[in-house]
Amino acid sequence: MVQENAPDFAQAVAKDLNKPKTEMYFAEIARRTSTRAPIVQRSLISAEKLEEWAKPAMVDVPDWQKPWAPKIYKNAKGVVLIIAPWNYPMTLSLQPLIGAIAAGCCAVLKPSEISPHYSALLATLTPRYLDSKAFRIVLGGVPETTKLLELQWDHIFYTGNSRVARIIATAAAKHLTPLTLELGGKCPVIVDPSTDIGIAAKRTLWGKAQNCGQVCVAPDYVLVPRSHQEAFVDALKAAYMQFFPDGCLASDSISRIVSPEHHSRLMKLLERTQGQVILGGKSEGLKMEMTVVKNVSANDSLMEGEIFGPILPIVPVDNLQDAIDFVRDRAHPLVLYAFTESAEFKDQILKGTLSGSLIFNDTFQQLAVNEIPLGGVGESGHGRQVLKYTFDEFSYERASIDLPKEAEPFIGMRYAPYTEENFKIMAAPAFMPIPE
Amino acid sequence: MSNTPISEIPGIRDTLRASFRKGLTRPLEWRKHQLLQLARMLQENVDVFAEALHKDLGKPKFEAYAYEIGVMIERSVDSAKRVDEWAKPVVVDAQDWQRPMQPTIHKAPVGTVLIIAPWNYPLALTLQPLLGAIAAGCCAVVKPSEIASHFAAALAEKLPKYLDSNAYRVVLGAVPETTKLLELQFFYTGNGRIARIISVAAAQHLTPLTLELGGKSPVLVDPSFDVTIAAKRILGAKMQNGGQLCVSPDYVIVPRTHQDALVSALKNAYAEFYPQGSLVSDSISRIVSPDHHSRLMDLLNRSKSEVVVGGRSEGNKKIELTVFKDVQPEDSLMEGELFGPFLPIVPVDSIDEAINFIRDRDHPLALYAFTDDPKIKQRLIDETLSGAIVFNDVVQQLAFNNLPFGGVGPSGYGRQSSKYTFDTFSYERSGIDVPKEAEPFLAARYPPYNEEKLKIMGATVHIPIPASS
Repeated sequence: MVQENAPDFAQAVAKDLNKPKTEMYFAEIARRTSTRAPIVQRSLISAEKLEEWAKPAMVDVPDWQKPWAPKIYKNAKGVVLIIAPWNYPMTLSLQPLIGAIAAGCCAVLKPSEISPHYSALLATLTPRYLDSKAFRIVLGGVPETTKLLELQWDHIFYTGNSRVARIIATAAAKHLTPLTLELGGKCPVIVDPSTDIGIAAKRTLWGKAQNCGQVCVAPDYVLVPRSHQEAFVDALKAAYMQFFPDGCLASDSISRIVSPEHHSRLMKLLERTQGQVILGGKSEGLKMEMTVVKNVSANDSLMEGEIFGPILPIVPVDNLQDAIDFVRDRAHPLVLYAFTESAEFKDQILKGTLSGSLIFNDTFQQLAVNEIPLGGVGESGHGRQVLKYTFDEFSYERASIDLPKEAEPFIGMRYAPYTEENFKIMAAPAFMPIPE
Repeated sequence: MSNTPISEIPGIRDTLRASFRKGLTRPLEWRKHQLLQLARMLQENVDVFAEALHKDLGKPKFEAYAYEIGVMIERSVDSAKRVDEWAKPVVVDAQDWQRPMQPTIHKAPVGTVLIIAPWNYPLALTLQPLLGAIAAGCCAVVKPSEIASHFAAALAEKLPKYLDSNAYRVVLGAVPETTKLLELQFFYTGNGRIARIISVAAAQHLTPLTLELGGKSPVLVDPSFDVTIAAKRILGAKMQNGGQLCVSPDYVIVPRTHQDALVSALKNAYAEFYPQGSLVSDSISRIVSPDHHSRLMDLLNRSKSEVVVGGRSEGNKKIELTVFKDVQPEDSLMEGELFGPFLPIVPVDSIDEAINFIRDRDHPLALYAFTDDPKIKQRLIDETLSGAIVFNDVVQQLAFNNLPFGGVGPSGYGRQSSKYTFDTFSYERSGIDVPKEAEPFLAARYPPYNEEKLKIMGATVHIPIPASS
């Protein structure tokens, strides 16, 4: 479906987001040859690995339990609901669906009304390729989603923001429905001055430019020691000139803001900032320049919530420990980025913080690695996706044993009436030696 | 022991949070020591705990030792041995060009968690989750059930003497105290009604949950399996804790033509287990409270089925093991989880009817089936859902340290036991580390985008899709 209609999908998303074809192809439809990639390739990998994932797992047990065939089945939970957002509409609707299909579930998928061209195309094409008795697209906004949430589902997979996540979790609670919540928050970037500042700036700006900053794993803000703020700013300027030689507004290598509401939200944040805009700041229609603001303080407008746009605040700190504390004092992010060559500092960050992912010396690129899971902790959500991880979200583990009648002599001592002799055998673990 | 003052509860949580943040629970050697201390707490006070369980539930020493204390000692020691293995970061196998990025998954603790435990296996169901939380590196507040008050008091007294109070605390109380605690992160074992309340509270904080619930666990009895052994195994399991166990065989489904043979075999097994009857035996727990006793007597009195074994009661804590035949789907005994010493037998006319009967109802925590017929086994595996599917025995799946325990649908979600509990209290923190030398290799990803870069970055759109139908 994706391969045969790739240009139409790219065009739909361009209409919704002005997303450049290159970004659409590499980030959503497929990636470079030697990698595993989003939808096309992950569908194929899932088809290939499905048998391995779904295979009952044998369990390691002591000899006396081996004749009882202990095993674990990975079974489908049932009929599931997937609610997807507008920003990476294809990946974030179809990646969960791949897992649900692989797990053997039926699924309703509700793509976002804020990416209407993509959603309409999906609704048209899906019934031509997938079995409508098992997979359906539901189109709509708040009323339709509310109706969906009144019903019982065997799992709900929601990608979006934490405000709506609370509404969904409350609705799910009525039916004791398990959830996957792929949320967001502010993903910090810590810059250690001892690193290659040129590369750090280039890789940070690149990550920020993806989808014009409208992605849950966007580097949201930068923490850098005060003494090196200028050096970092200079490096950002250089990278900016390299990416957008004619400026962002004239470039077709960057998306636009999705809607007037989000555009005005972002412009208001910028108007209220007490930091200094050193790059960008202009906007034209729904296009907004990549904007860098330095000397941003902790209580600035730009630090109030997830930016989800092309504004990069730089928050100077006194030292790297302060950077760690800054992160720790706030909600656990989906991703924590840090540019550093120091093994000691990496270890301090690893031990001193929590985050869904911890990425050293790059941004965004972790999404290209099929083998590592994507997901949050705390406010950034719970549950994991990508390939087997998505399969696991939509499956449950069903334990099994099978006791032959010949086992009776081995289990005879468990029956009443309880005697001292039976007790000695059955209670033996209570007296096992405890190591020092 | 009196309840924890409600005003102290947020402070307890904050103390634990501060400890977690300082990294108190991080070192593996520290966690191992706490796990072994838990084992020592049990082993050095085994009589205190067995006595408490006996006071709360009339639990026979045999059951207290075999199914609660002994198991938890063994699993504490086992967890201490395996923490290194469980907590080890996993270096992921990736594509050649990605290997230099060292893709890794860290198993990291989620933070400070809350464990709410029920009254029926109070020791096992408080400590098994706690083991996982300790192994994972979390701090934990444990709230044992106020209904098993002697056990709760014993735990509250002993735990601080063995485990570090900066990381682990026992909170005593009932509804008001629990409500205050519901602002933390949860592992709840109990019933569906309370689970819904807890889920709504958790939703406010986006807290992930484990819900270990229950329901009616059916037992299919097919004539192909030796009926004497089937009856013995079913009755033996039903008697565990007087039927007050989430995976207790709740009711039996049997072909109508086989019902009498089963009833006969059950009678024989009963006589073997309780030669003087179950009311006078000390090899059976009693009903936990007068409220539950009158709940069960009400079900008994309203039942329209035929009592073939038992039926008598004594005082407000004892009811005989009672077997009922010819139970109809709308009978009082089929309204909800029995959680008592009643075994209804529901006759059916075909295997299809049996499977539909199960499918029409909530997914159970355990599905049991006595059969030697591989076709029936496969149909049950394929056509039903349940937390566990157990052939030719009942409850014995709990003896396996490495089998995950938990439900699906109304019987709950999440898993426990050994590594599964560790995983419950951890989260996967993935990582890469991209060397600066990778820059030439990443060149095609940077703007300005052009046709050449698109060719490289978008190449896999056109990979061949294998044929299928």
